[in-house]
Amino acid sequence: MTAARLDLDPATSRVLDDYLGALAARLTGPTRARQTILAELRDGLVEATHARLAGGASQAQAAAAAVTEFGDPATVAAAFTPELAAATARRVALTLIATGPLVGGLWLSVLAPSGLATPAAAPPWQWPIIQAGGWPARLLLAVIAAAVLAAWLTVAATGQLTRWLPARPRLAPTTATFAAAGTGLVDVSLLTTGALAIPHAAAWPPVAVAATASLIRCCLASRAARRCLATRPAPS
Amino acid sequence: MRAEILKGHLDGLLLAVLETGPLHGYAVIEAVRSGSGGTFDLPTGTVYPALHRLERAGLVHATWSVVGGRRRRTYELSAAGRRALAAERSTWQRFATAVSALLEPGPAPARARP
Repeated sequence: MTAARLDLDPATSRVLDDYLGALAARLTGPTRARQTILAELRDGLVEATHARLAGGASQAQAAAAAVTEFGDPATVAAAFTPELAAATARRVALTLIATGPLVGGLWLSVLAPSGLATPAAAPPWQWPIIQAGGWPARLLLAVIAAAVLAAWLTVAATGQLTRWLPARPRLAPTTATFAAAGTGLVDVSLLTTGALAIPHAAAWPPVAVAATASLIRCCLASRAARRCLATRPAPS
Repeated sequence: MRAEILKGHLDGLLLAVLETGPLHGYAVIEAVRSGSGGTFDLPTGTVYPALHRLERAGLVHATWSVVGGRRRRTYELSAAGRRALAAERSTWQRFATAVSALLEPGPAPARARP
């Protein structure tokens, strides 16, 4: 069937390309997710055009009808918004979950040798650095716990659990924003007050490594939080 | 009938046309359109996100292939998708039976005397 098909002439292809270009300009989200959408819709548009050609339409009529059938780019982009927002939120949450233990481990390697943190002996809220830090330090621990929880909630709300959950397109972008913003806040705190608590005797290379990691993550997390907020679908 | 009414059952309709075998996205949407006798007439581009949502929920699996030099995404029902379709079907049958009993013209139901 495919072999017998006419090739689309350049003007026809241009109509489809223009449509996809207009759609691409309106899609916000991870590059890969956007490329998937555009490749899939290109295949669909070509199929729709061929269906009209088989029905006797001219190339120009066939392409125009296919584009009309697909709907105007703004409407199609709006229909994809919840999916792209979920993809963005999921990616941000998974990145935070993957990098969290790494950055945390680097700071522990700074704090553990001087006995400020005792991960082997006691839970975090009993570590000397937290005891010495009073309520701001405990609040920071609570923010870490909340950010981790929000990240896992995002992963759950954008995966197979959606089968049983009611459609809440704003939930995952909101929890991902919270997780990213919380992570950024933790990094800022570690870089300022946390750094002050480090004894002068501590070897500087681990401190420099941990601080650099926190600085990078802080910048990326704040960008991610803004991106999640920007892709959040409008309330329906 | 308004397409909006069918839209509430979109997930079930998409799963139903995939029951007989894998199809690419446009073929799924065309099958829903022709299977509904043209009643279901949403803009094609706005139906793809529903297929992506079903994939994210694990109800369909999607695979890429290359056909005629173009990348093509083909959807297939998963085991969970088959179960979801069966559930959707039985819910719909109960609903349809109840609504038909009330809406279809026929002998007037016995009324309690005032």
